[in-house]
Amino acid sequence: WDLLGLEIDMNRKKDKGFETPLFLNVLTCYVMFIPHTTHQVVCINNINFQRKSVIGFVELTIFPTVVNLNRIKLNSKQCRIYRVRVNDLEAPFIYNDPTLEVCHHESKQRNLNYFSSAYTAAVSAVDPDAGHGELVIKVPSELWKQGDEMNVLKVYIEFSLDQPKGGLHFVVPDVEGSMAERGAHVFSFGYQNSTRFWFPCVDSYSELCTWKLEFTVDASMVAVSCGDLVETVYTHDMRKKTFHYVLPIPTAASNISLSVGPFEILVEPYMHEVTHFCLPQLLPLLKHSMSYLHEIFEFYEEILTCRYPYSCFKTVFVDEAYVQVSSYASMSIFSTNLLHSAMIIDQTPLTRQCLAQALAQQFFGCFISRMSWADEWVLKGISGYIYGLYLKKTFGVNQYRHWIKEELDKMVEYELKMGGVLLHPTFGGGKDKDNPTPHLHFSIKHPHTLSWKYYKMFQCKAHLVMRLIENRISMEFMLQVFNKLLSLASTASSQKYQSHMWSQMLVSTHSFLKSISNVSGKDIGPLIKQWVDQSAVVKFFGSFAFNRKRNVLELEIRQDYTSSGTQKYVGPIKVTVQELDGSFNHTLQIEENSLKHDIPCHSKSRRNKKKKIPLMNGEEVDMDLSAMDADSPLLWIRIDPDMSILRKVEFEQADFMWQYQLRYERDVVAQEESILALEKFPTPASRLALTDILEQDQCFYKVRQGACFCLAKIANSMMSTWTGPPAMKSLFTRMFCCKSCPNIVKTNTFISFQSYFLQKTMPVAMAQLRDIQNLCPKDVLNFILDLIKYNDNRKNKFSDNYYRAELIDALTNSLTPAISISNEVRTVDNLNGDVRLILEEITRSLNMEKLLPSYRNTITVSCLRAIRMLQKNGHIPSDPSLFKSYAEYGHFVDVRVAALEAVVDYTRGMHRTSPSEVSRTHPIPYVVHKILSMLGKNPPFTKAAESPLCNEALVDQLWKLMNSGTSHDWRLRCDAVNLYYTLFGLTRPSCLPLPELGLVLNLKEKKAVLNPTIKPEQGPDTTEMTVSSVSMSSGVAPPPQGLKRKLDSVVGPLGSSSPEPGQVLQEEDTSKKFKIRVRISSEDEIDMESPHDSQAFIHHHLNILERPSTPGQHPVKHPALIILLSDNLEPPAVDQAVLSLPVTPLPSSFGKESTSSSKHSGDHHHHHHHHEHKKKKKKKHKHKHKHKHESKDKERDSHAFSNSPASGRSARSPSMSD
Amino acid sequence: MADPAVMAGGFSAIRSGCGKATSSPAENYQLARRRTLQVVVSSLLTECGFESAEKATVESLTEMIQSYISEVGRCAKAYCEHTARITPTLSDTVVTLNEMGFNVDTLPGYAKRSQRMVITAPPVTNAPVIPKALIAGQKRTHPSHIPSHFPEFPDPHTYIKTPTFREPVSDYQVVREKAASQRRDVERALTRFMAKTGETQSLFKDDVTAFPLIAERPSSIPYLSALLPSELELQTLEETDSSEQDDQTDSENTPVNNLNDDPGADKENSVLLAGSVVPLVKVSEESMIDNPYLRPVKKPKVRRKK
Repeated sequence: WDLLGLEIDMNRKKDKGFETPLFLNVLTCYVMFIPHTTHQVVCINNINFQRKSVIGFVELTIFPTVVNLNRIKLNSKQCRIYRVRVNDLEAPFIYNDPTLEVCHHESKQRNLNYFSSAYTAAVSAVDPDAGHGELVIKVPSELWKQGDEMNVLKVYIEFSLDQPKGGLHFVVPDVEGSMAERGAHVFSFGYQNSTRFWFPCVDSYSELCTWKLEFTVDASMVAVSCGDLVETVYTHDMRKKTFHYVLPIPTAASNISLSVGPFEILVEPYMHEVTHFCLPQLLPLLKHSMSYLHEIFEFYEEILTCRYPYSCFKTVFVDEAYVQVSSYASMSIFSTNLLHSAMIIDQTPLTRQCLAQALAQQFFGCFISRMSWADEWVLKGISGYIYGLYLKKTFGVNQYRHWIKEELDKMVEYELKMGGVLLHPTFGGGKDKDNPTPHLHFSIKHPHTLSWKYYKMFQCKAHLVMRLIENRISMEFMLQVFNKLLSLASTASSQKYQSHMWSQMLVSTHSFLKSISNVSGKDIGPLIKQWVDQSAVVKFFGSFAFNRKRNVLELEIRQDYTSSGTQKYVGPIKVTVQELDGSFNHTLQIEENSLKHDIPCHSKSRRNKKKKIPLMNGEEVDMDLSAMDADSPLLWIRIDPDMSILRKVEFEQADFMWQYQLRYERDVVAQEESILALEKFPTPASRLALTDILEQDQCFYKVRQGACFCLAKIANSMMSTWTGPPAMKSLFTRMFCCKSCPNIVKTNTFISFQSYFLQKTMPVAMAQLRDIQNLCPKDVLNFILDLIKYNDNRKNKFSDNYYRAELIDALTNSLTPAISISNEVRTVDNLNGDVRLILEEITRSLNMEKLLPSYRNTITVSCLRAIRMLQKNGHIPSDPSLFKSYAEYGHFVDVRVAALEAVVDYTRGMHRTSPSEVSRTHPIPYVVHKILSMLGKNPPFTKAAESPLCNEALVDQLWKLMNSGTSHDWRLRCDAVNLYYTLFGLTRPSCLPLPELGLVLNLKEKKAVLNPTIKPEQGPDTTEMTVSSVSMSSGVAPPPQGLKRKLDSVVGPLGSSSPEPGQVLQEEDTSKKFKIRVRISSEDEIDMESPHDSQAFIHHHLNILERPSTPGQHPVKHPALIILLSDNLEPPAVDQAVLSLPVTPLPSSFGKESTSSSKHSGDHHHHHHHHEHKKKKKKKHKHKHKHKHESKDKERDSHAFSNSPASGRSARSPSMSD
Repeated sequence: MADPAVMAGGFSAIRSGCGKATSSPAENYQLARRRTLQVVVSSLLTECGFESAEKATVESLTEMIQSYISEVGRCAKAYCEHTARITPTLSDTVVTLNEMGFNVDTLPGYAKRSQRMVITAPPVTNAPVIPKALIAGQKRTHPSHIPSHFPEFPDPHTYIKTPTFREPVSDYQVVREKAASQRRDVERALTRFMAKTGETQSLFKDDVTAFPLIAERPSSIPYLSALLPSELELQTLEETDSSEQDDQTDSENTPVNNLNDDPGADKENSVLLAGSVVPLVKVSEESMIDNPYLRPVKKPKVRRKK
């Protein structure tokens, strides 16, 4: 049907002599043959920094794997496509991007369930892994016969990008000078496969091909891209030069990147094939920051016993980076903020870690790509795992174990809160109802629908699971497996033009597991089933009793596997018992119904006081055993000490046992666990144990830092019985102050990093101390003020900016709520004396920052936080204007984020109208992402609470943001979804006024998921009001019986989104009745709304005339980045336009038309993708008419439905194949 | 009888003049003489039978008499000097008086007149006191080999070195205290100044001047100032790292020194050479590095011929 229709359509177009091949049509069903791209040329001729535009072409060499290839689907977003030629023949094409606007029409749906399913469907509809794409090219019929001989097709596409919002990010500082002098640069970015944003390609990690990349840039600029730079040639006018890159290793389009800028070049002195690039003036920093990169290289090459797979490696440091690190084939793009000088302590390990991550991803992620999204965990797992090995080697075992614990805790916390994280989702039969993660408000079927936080936890879990596998099969085997994967891939990569071999470069869960079993001969099936195929973690509760008679430890381990995010664990668990005679490991079997485990003890309780006690690591120590129970030989017990289960353990043991564990157990994880446990035991003994740890130089510094905070908490609990000076004060004095004058801190040297970190942390922890009035003790405050006063860094070769920032943090911590007499306005005069001192320090530090800025403006960040805390505690008037000014573009990104955090906090705290416009004319994706996630983390209100901020305007704004405003950035869209979820939950926001059909709407939500084609009501215009009221009267209850039948018939043909029968049945009779009312009302609307629509239509056309037609860009100039949290704010003028645009239904004349779409496109010379809306709309109208007259056949009907994004999958349904 | 008022005035004036001992002695002397003349004039007037006189008249007469006496003195001195003497004699004075038209013979008679008034001599003002030389410490007595008639030793301070300075504060605590408060004062003053002279932001609405914050200024390239170490930090870095940097330059220079086969060349020379040769070495190194980004950019191929 449609194929024919479309051909006619094309012919007609040609006949009518259309100059531009740009036309748009509804994406309908095609049989998808997945052709194989073997080579792709990307040529960008012109990059205009002034206009932020890019012009170029791509040429794909496609090897058809089927006879009669007549459709080629490619991915492309945002690009304006000028022409497409297949083997030098002009080819017509269709461009449709359902993700531009997820839910069409200005629907009143507003519930997240509906949105999520529509969004998933939209993403599925263009999923390259399934052979879909936004751009459908019709192979000219002349070439059809060639297909028999399986000749290659060359697809040539000319395209341009104008002010791209996603994919490429232009940074153009607003200063004098040429672009190079200004440091203007551009770089590609994106979350997961986002290359389609900047050139047409098959944007899949599994579609490998070789590359030729050419970039013509200004002569003062450098273009850095993937592969080998073959040559650089001047253009004829010598004003530009062209960089020619060749990437002979088959690579996925998603791993291709570009950055252009006036970069300074540094060739790695140890490895000349490695080149670093940074922005002007930063070369000294680059030299220092990169000075240890070669060590990371050596490390990975050694453990993997494999050379770095690419012939070169490039690192580029850019401003306004999307993420800290992003890896592409043979190059990585970093945030310029990772660069640091030799004076900076704190940033050094972080930068090294980022470099190590990037390099690990070069091997696994870039060189070895993934078969499908479900296999992503293998890549993330392996790269995370080898990164962990690097951490262990460079930063030590303590740091490594600390990191593992941290990651595990983080992940467990997330899973328990949000529900499980599933590493390897399998979608049985591709049916929606098999959603493996029903607890989530988004689908995990595609990377692009994932919440960012979820994805982070996903990566976290992946490497933790890899570690579990290592525990099972040993590291040696593990590395052998990696080596095998790599050597297979490198063999395959050297095969030229044998693309079938290239699949060896893709890793899948299956192939990974197979090589594990081949290499190790071990069956890790249960492990995989438990942690990879299933989501959730294990939650243990442990307690014990010592049976003196039997000399047996009776251990009870219970599990909670009913609450969300938990699963049942059956299998071995390791328990370590430290007895007087030594440390013993026991492996217990957790079984279905056995809770109690008897562990025989080795030592009788008799004790030989002279004897030293052997520890796990063979060390023998003297202990003061007076604290322990005289009857029991147990010193401490640990459950699963090696973290070989993804679990949370809540274990009960006596306080003295925790104290012994803290003092004598050498494992940092055990020490940290005991510190956490000791918070519950505020006794002098705990205090002593913690103090001892603080003083012990041998102890890992992060444990000591943890002990500081624990000690502060204990001191607060022991307030009434505490003796001596405030906690830690004398300790600090002894460690860091002058011997002769104990109130003055030594001049800074920071030679010992351990003590540096401790020196930083202690004041912050001390400031948490409180006296009986719940105030920070005067002693402590003065002490901190003295530290600031006497701080002297003149003789130090390290910068003290982090230390000073932490001292400001300490001041912040010392703040307590002001005693407010009444609701009086805060003035200078009634400022408390201590607060005045604090404020003085903060003011001075903040002002000094203007004159002598600190590295990464750490002090400004701390000062902003302090000011917000002063406001929050009512010491100074609460006012967001200061933060707003710091949040503006033009400040260092850390400062902006800190200021935005304060604004967000303000919005939450004030609970009153406060329009907080976030981000301005220069949106940086990272900053907007931060805003949304901060709003999500610290929401101004939640679905549970009432708030004046929760109102219709906000709902509309947010809805628009996620529906269409964030189409250029997957991550942002998911952030917006997350925020919407946090604010309103899955269902319709409660603040929306109940329209006349409010009840219907509420019930419809369930239904909406099933049948998105139900036409929702229009916006709150007067026209619509009449419409709905009319519909009310016109839709007076038809008999429920008949309606149900009608409903089913509507639902029936929709193969893709067939409803769950149970759900329909669950609906009550009344609900059905109302549902049907909606149907009827929406049918009636067609006529009723025509005057309004024609107006909008005119408006729309005017808009088109004003703007050049850009199919790639959504016409909606949505101020995506202005989130207005306001209850009285009228949406700005742009918004109004926006409101009307997506709605734009056809004028009544079109609405009534039921002719084929070709006629329609012939009538209009505007080949704008908006037509597609119209067409859809029209088809829907058609559909409705059909229902009215019940005369058309059902097949057509279903075609019409396939236009809806939610049913994009139907395009693949076999019945539609021709 | 002389007018008591004038008399009293005259004397009181003299007394008050004497009372004003604060002024210089020479001045005092002048004043005293003039007072005496005034008294003389007043008494002459009384003698002549005037009961009272205006002050201005008395002044004029005093002036006249002073001039007359001065002229007599001057002329007398001139006569005596004319005759190569330094002290005028009676005859000098007589000649002078004669010369000025005064009959000297009448003088004794006038002097012995009966109604003349006797005027008390003006009080002798003390000669100005020469301040005593400072005596610091005991003067040294002569040693035995010096006869006692020799002058005494001068005051010891004239020849003994007595350095005077305050003991520097070496107490660590005080130094730190001072350094800290000095730095703080400088910082505060500087920031206040900046705040006063530039735009500010305020935390309080009621009092904008309290705790002024220097207004933030968006920069076009914010990462530069945030990442690059400030000049102050660079300075300290140079100070602390100078030794390390020396090492580095040394290592860079080694090939240079080898090339320069005179290791004994004086330092300046080698430094100069190093400075000039190092870039060359770098270039040669870079050319050795085969990195595509360092290769020269090719000229476009000319295709016009085709």
